[in-house]
Parts: sequence; C-alpha cells; structure tokens
Amino acid sequence: MKIKHLSIIAKKEFRGLYNEKTILLAILLQLFIALFSSFLMVGLTSMYDPASLSRYSHSRYSIGYAGNESKILTYLQTSPDFRVYQMDLSTAVAALGQRKLAAVIYVPDTRPDALDPVKITLYTLQNDLQTAIVDVKLKDIFLKYEKDLRDIRADRLKEELVSLQIQKTSGGGDFYEFVYGLLIPLLVFMPAIITSALVIDLITEEYQHETLETLMSTPITFVEMVWGKVLACELLVPIQAGAWLLLLMLNGIAIENAGLILLQVVITSLILILLGTLTALHYRERTAAQFIFSTALVVVILFSLALPANPLNLITRLAVGTAGMDQWLLLGGTIVVILALGYLTQRYAEKIGKTHNTR
Amino acid sequence: MGTLTDIATIARWEVKKSFSMLGREVLPFAIILFVLLVLVTGFAAQTGMHLQDGMYNVGVDDPQIAGLLASDARFSVYVMDSPVLLKNRNAFDLIVVQGIVNGSATDKANAAQKTLERDYAKYVNSVYNTENDLFAAYPLWIDTQSVKSELNFLSTQSGQYVSANPRRIAPVPEGEVKTVPTPSPALAISQEELRAELVQSNTKNTQISRYTETLSTTSTSMGNFKTPAQLSPPLPFDSIILIFVFIFPLYFTSQFFMMSIMNERIERKGEVLLSTPLRTSSIIIGKALPYFIGMVAICTGLTLYIKASPVIILPLIPVIFFFLANALLIGMLARSFKELSFISIFFSTVATSYLFFPSIFANVHVISLISPLTLIVLTIQGSAWTVTDYLYSTSLFWLTGAVLFYIAARNFKEERLFSEKKLVSRVREFLSEILSQKHPFVSLFLLSGFSIPFIFMVQMMCLVLFFNIPMPYSLVFLLLFAALVEEIAKGVGIYTIYTRDPAFLTWKNLILACAATAIGFLAGEKLLLFVTLAQISDSVFGSILFLSLGSLWLPFLLHFACVTIVACCLKIWGKKGFVPGLAVAMVVHCLYNLYFILGWLG
Repeated sequence: MKIKHLSIIAKKEFRGLYNEKTILLAILLQLFIALFSSFLMVGLTSMYDPASLSRYSHSRYSIGYAGNESKILTYLQTSPDFRVYQMDLSTAVAALGQRKLAAVIYVPDTRPDALDPVKITLYTLQNDLQTAIVDVKLKDIFLKYEKDLRDIRADRLKEELVSLQIQKTSGGGDFYEFVYGLLIPLLVFMPAIITSALVIDLITEEYQHETLETLMSTPITFVEMVWGKVLACELLVPIQAGAWLLLLMLNGIAIENAGLILLQVVITSLILILLGTLTALHYRERTAAQFIFSTALVVVILFSLALPANPLNLITRLAVGTAGMDQWLLLGGTIVVILALGYLTQRYAEKIGKTHNTR
Repeated sequence: MGTLTDIATIARWEVKKSFSMLGREVLPFAIILFVLLVLVTGFAAQTGMHLQDGMYNVGVDDPQIAGLLASDARFSVYVMDSPVLLKNRNAFDLIVVQGIVNGSATDKANAAQKTLERDYAKYVNSVYNTENDLFAAYPLWIDTQSVKSELNFLSTQSGQYVSANPRRIAPVPEGEVKTVPTPSPALAISQEELRAELVQSNTKNTQISRYTETLSTTSTSMGNFKTPAQLSPPLPFDSIILIFVFIFPLYFTSQFFMMSIMNERIERKGEVLLSTPLRTSSIIIGKALPYFIGMVAICTGLTLYIKASPVIILPLIPVIFFFLANALLIGMLARSFKELSFISIFFSTVATSYLFFPSIFANVHVISLISPLTLIVLTIQGSAWTVTDYLYSTSLFWLTGAVLFYIAARNFKEERLFSEKKLVSRVREFLSEILSQKHPFVSLFLLSGFSIPFIFMVQMMCLVLFFNIPMPYSLVFLLLFAALVEEIAKGVGIYTIYTRDPAFLTWKNLILACAATAIGFLAGEKLLLFVTLAQISDSVFGSILFLSLGSLWLPFLLHFACVTIVACCLKIWGKKGFVPGLAVAMVVHCLYNLYFILGWLG
C-alpha cells in the first residue's frame, strides 16, 4: 500500500466535496443549531427541568383567594410574585375566565391537625403559557405550607429519615447537566455519524456510477482506494468536531480538555467509519448499505450507552473535568476494536480486489 | 381507467424491483439486526443509560448518606473523615459534613446540588410512602381545575400579560357571573389508592421510564389530585418519543423512495420508462404509491401497537405526503450520493424541527397547533381537536406538498433527470420549467401566489424560533427575516426569467412582470390567511408577517415597489445586481412594516 496513492484518493474525494459544495448544508446545519441554541436551551431544558421556565418572567400575578383563611394567604401576601385578592369563588373564577386574574385558590376549612388531608382547589387557565409559570411559582408556596402541615402532624409519622440539610443555591446550574451531559457528547459525535454515512456514499458511488473500472485501470489498487476513502472521511472528523467545540466555547460554554475530547472522538469515530466501509463493501449498493448501516448504528450506540463506561460518557466526564486514568483504558479498548475491524476491512478489500484484478 | 391501470402497473414494478433487491441480501441481516435491537433495548432498559455517570465528585463523612448518594450514578462518592474532607474541599464539587451539604459557587456545584436535592426528595418520598398515616406524610393535596379562557389566546402572545399592573382593588368580572360549586373538602379517593399512585410516580421518575410510559394511553386513577411536589407545568415529554416512533420510520421510508428515483437516473433505466406512452404524472404517482401505502401501513401498525385512537393517522397523512414530495424532488436534484445524503439530512432536520419544536408547547400554548404532531399528542392524551385545528395545522403541509409534486412532475423528463449541472442552476432550471414561455405573466402570477405556503412555512419556523427571545429582539429579528424571505420569493421568478432570456426584460415587460408578481403574491397571501391563519394574524407577530389585512392597495404598492427594485437592479447590473437589489428591497419592506407597527402601537 502506498501512502501516495491513499492521498490521491483522499484528495479526489475532497475535491468532489468541494465542487458540489453541498457539504456546506451540513455545516450550515451546525451553524443553524448553534445560532438557535438559545431556543434549544429554553425549549429542551424546560423539558429536563420545567421549573427553569419561571425565570423568564418577572411580573406580579394576581391571585384570587376564596374559602377559609390559612397560612397560604400570608405566604401569598408576603411573596413578591403575587398580589392576592380575597374574593367570592364564583366571582373569582369568572374574573379568571376573563383574564383578570392569573389563578384562583380555594381553601377548605379543614384544620391543620385534622386526620384528613387539606385539599386545596387550584383554578388556572387552560392552554396558556402563563399558567405554566404561575404553577411553578405557586408550587413553592404550596411546598412551604406542606412542610408546615407536616411539622404539625409530625408525631403521627413513624419512620426516621436520614437528615440532610441542603442550602438554597446561589442560582444557575439549571442547564449544566443538559449542556454537558447531553448536548456536548451528542454534538461532538455527530461528525462521526455523518462521515460514516459519507464513506458508504463514496464507496457505493464507485460501483453504481461504474467508475470503479476506470479507477482500477490506474496503478491504484482496490485496497488503496478503500483506505483512501476511509482516510478522507477520518480527516473530516476533527475539522467538524473541532468546529463544534469552538462554537460552543464562543457561546460561553467552558469545555475542559478540548484536546483530549478531540483525540477520543477522532479515534472512536474510526469504529463507525470502518463499520460503514464493511457494510458498503458487502452491499455495493447505497439503499441497502445505508439501511443496514443506520439500523446497526442504532444498535451500536444504544448498546454502548448501556455500558457503564462508554465513549459518550467519557466525553461528558472529560468536558466537566472528572475523567480519571480510566480514559486511557477505554481508549486502549477502542483501539483493540479498531484493529480488529481494520484487519477485517483489509482482508475483505483484498479479497474483493483480487476478483477485480482477475477480471 | 387507463390512467389507473398505468399507475397500478408502475406501482407493481416498483414493489417488485425494491423487493427483489432487498429480499435477497438485506432481509436476513435486517432480521438479525432487529432481534439485536430488541435485545439491546431490553439490556439498556435494565442497566439504564450511562451518559452522565460520574459527572460530579462528592465527599461524604457518613456512610449512610454515601449509600443514599451512590444510588445515583451521576455522583462519584468518596467516604472520608470530616477533617480530611474540609482540607481537600476543592477536590470535590460538593462535600457533606455532619449532614450539611456544602458546595462551591460554580455552576457545576449548583447543578450537583440540584441533582442531590431531587435525589433526596425522592428518598424522602420513598420513606413517606410507607407511612401508615399517609395524610400525616402528605397533608396537602391540590385539586387542579382548568378554566377555559373567554378571551382569545392572542392577548398573551402579543406580549401583554394578563394583568401587568395589579391594582389594589380586586378585579370585577364583566357580565353575568356563573355560580361555581364550592369544592368538597374531602378527597374522592381512598388512602391506599393514593399510596399506590405515589409509589408508582416516585419510581417512574427515572429518565427512561419517563419516556417509555408516555405512550400508554391509560389515565391514572388519581385524576387531578397532586401533592405540591407533583405540581409542575404540563410540558409534555411525549413529543420526543413521538418523533422517534412516528416520524423516523416515515423519514426512513421516504429515503427508499428518494433512492429509487436516484437509481432511475444513475442507471439510466428511467429513460425506458420515459420513452413509453405513459404520462409522467402516472409514473410519479405509480412510483410513489407503494411508499405511501407502506408509510400509512407503518403508522397504522404503530397506532395499533400502542393502542391509540386511529384518528392519529389523519394528521400523519399530510406529513407523509409532504415527505414524499420532498423525497421526489431531492432524488431528482441530487447529483451524487453524498449530495443526496447532505440534502436529505438537512431537509429532515429542518422538517423535524418544524414538527417538533411547536409540539413542546402542546398543553401550554395554542401556537403549538401549527405542528400536526401536536394533534397526535392531544389525541394520545385524550383531548379532542376540531376540524379547524386540523386544517390549521395541516394545510401548509398539503399545499407545499402539492406544489412540490407539481414542480417535480413538470421536470420529470430526460434533459432534467440526466443533467449534471450545479445545484443552484438546477433549481433555477426546475423553476424555469414551470414558468411558461407563452404566458410568462400568468406563470409569474401563479408562481408568486403558490410561493406563499412555503414562505409561511419558513416564517412560521422563525416565529417559533424567535418566540423565546426577549420581546424587542424577537420583533426586530422577525421583521428583518420576514421581509427578506418575502423579497427572495418574489424576486426568484423574475430572476429565473431574466437568466433564461435577458432580452425579455424590457422596461414595459419589467413593469408588467412586477405587477403580475405583486398581484399573485397578494392573492396568495389573502387566500391562505382566509383559510388558516386568522388565529395568528391578529397578534403583533402576525401583523408583521401578514400585514395586508386592512386595505388592498397599500400592500400591493409595497409588493410592487419592492419587486420592482429587485427587477431594476437585475436589469441594470445583470445577475450580480440581484443580491444588492434584495437588500434594498428588504430595507424598504422593513421601513414600511415599521411605520405600520409604530402607527399601530402608537
């Protein structure tokens, strides 16, 4: 195998990509997502932690209070988020329907130390973004009241709790787990997935466009052609993954060990690229190869996620700076898998290459 | 009848071809992979996802607390004596000394502390669930009742809060006050039933089960009763799982269609088909039909599997139609496999985000109805939706799908299918094909009229995207972007005609072409507004997008002026005048909008 031949093939593929320019779409997509990460933040993290929504509102909400007096009334009156009006229930609900109130609370005359629970009725507007925010703010007040009631009824509880005192945090950290535990590993591995699909396109194209014969008539062997394409795809990974890391950093997300992350991604992505190569060599037809490969990809990713130490988790731990020496162990394991796959690819390509030469 | 037989024949060929190809080699592997997938899914469900393992380092001096923390894989727990912990506190994100949690002020420590808080709450619940006197452990229950707003939803959307400045005196409702029955103070459910629900909701709080259980349609017996801790906004987690369950198979199948079209082109088999007396529309419908039936079958199967109401299929059909139209066009446009991959990945991401993002707000805001997926979420939850809702969320998919199919049908011929030109010029050629030589002005009128659904689709996406940016910025962005999109759409027809035949654009023809474009645009806008968008068009956002509700001649003048600017730039500077022309037109458009909104607000 000659290095020169490999680089000729790789250069040919890069030229093809450059001429078509549609790889720009892939890059545009990255930008699109990065630019709108603020939306991603609000939209997706609110699913992780719906309470984060409430931060986006700073106005005071009018609450109608009906029924008996309780500590909730005091809590509401002292809260900076609410203004409370003691009202008749029917009037209050009618006002709510006309959007003159944000919510209505009805408190029954159950005594705090009664055997029965206190059942509060909360009326809110249907299908309303504001309701979601009011709910979050009211929740705090209800929790406070629940604690009061629990204290009053404490002598009726039997089990002893392990006590743990957690102080209020200084705020922030809402998006931390989402960004580092999901966004970064997924984004950084996206180029690996894209390029492994690309290698299938590159190989099957030679077959289906019937350009293989021409290529084989040059001094370049079949095996060299295959490895050249693998090389081209592998080179794209650090460029794209690096661009992601840079974009994230520009967005103010501090990433530790960026170099090590790149190293891990570049090496691990070889597994996917070689899997793609093997599938393409087997089918030599895009539809079948892509279908089988993408199904296999789901299996592989799901399986590795189910393992306690997996490359995606390692990216997370590297990015937050808690990865230990075991990262090198994992890297070693990855390299063993790559060597095995590489050997398979080499043998398979040699076998196919022979049939091409004899023809 | 003849056409129907033709379609049936083509469809049969298509099925035969794809099955003979798939059957031999792919099926065995596919079955193996499917079995593996089931096994791996089971394995993953058992061991859990290990994506966030060991994110936080925690030091603890009490083995009992350490045990509690170690149950969450996100923590790496170290047990040490308290003096050692205090000395090395910088090595940890959190330290727990004598039952008190201490963290540094970093984001990471805050995140760790929040995770710890949730874990601890879960632990407390698990202890309280076993209490004999459940109402001592859970003394407070909230009964949530939703009230239908009598005003439309637009008041919040236009940035006005319900009552921005609460006054001292309680608000007085207008009109008659309906009597609301006083709620009974007793819970309607027994203590043991509540306990069972609490135990279940406490265990299901893990990441995976939260998703797997969204598809079960059975409602809980608890009804509206919640403990304060369970009271959180009704943001559905369903959309993610729905995307995976319903949209991905559709995307996959449309890939096969895309490849089938592409294969016709590269193997030049399509030429044989084209030389037969079959009509192109028959060929296209025949080729698409098996995939359409397959996709509907997949959806039906999935619906039956999750035991949901078959009504779910209805909103999916326009999505399938739209996917197929795009697949056809992409299959016809792409020059190579890699181009096919890139374009289809790009398209699928954009389409998926259009479907997905609005449905996040399914129970929160009516804006979510612009995505058909929301209708599915609602159906699964057991809420009803109306025919108007259906029209509202699917009409854009029907319209754009139909237009794309028309463009593809007009271009489904030899010189288009087998040309090797660049993507942009191919798109232009495709457009040029539907612009008639004989009746250029009628074509321009129709083109700009039919571009409206696409513009709305793009603008709707922007509306959703900008929805979360603080108020003034979202308006500014929307203002600029909406204007730019409209100007591009209007300019593209004239640009195409100019490239085809620069001599056509005499001053007289230029004015006529601009007028045709402007009238077409106005007509399309009016029509679509009339059909679907009345709900949104009254808000501030709406007034930027679809300003032209009031008088007719003002928006016409605007459209005419803007498109004339672009056309003049084209005529004077040639092709390179197009982009500067667009920029100027955008500014004019924005100024017009600004004047109107300022006037409107003032």
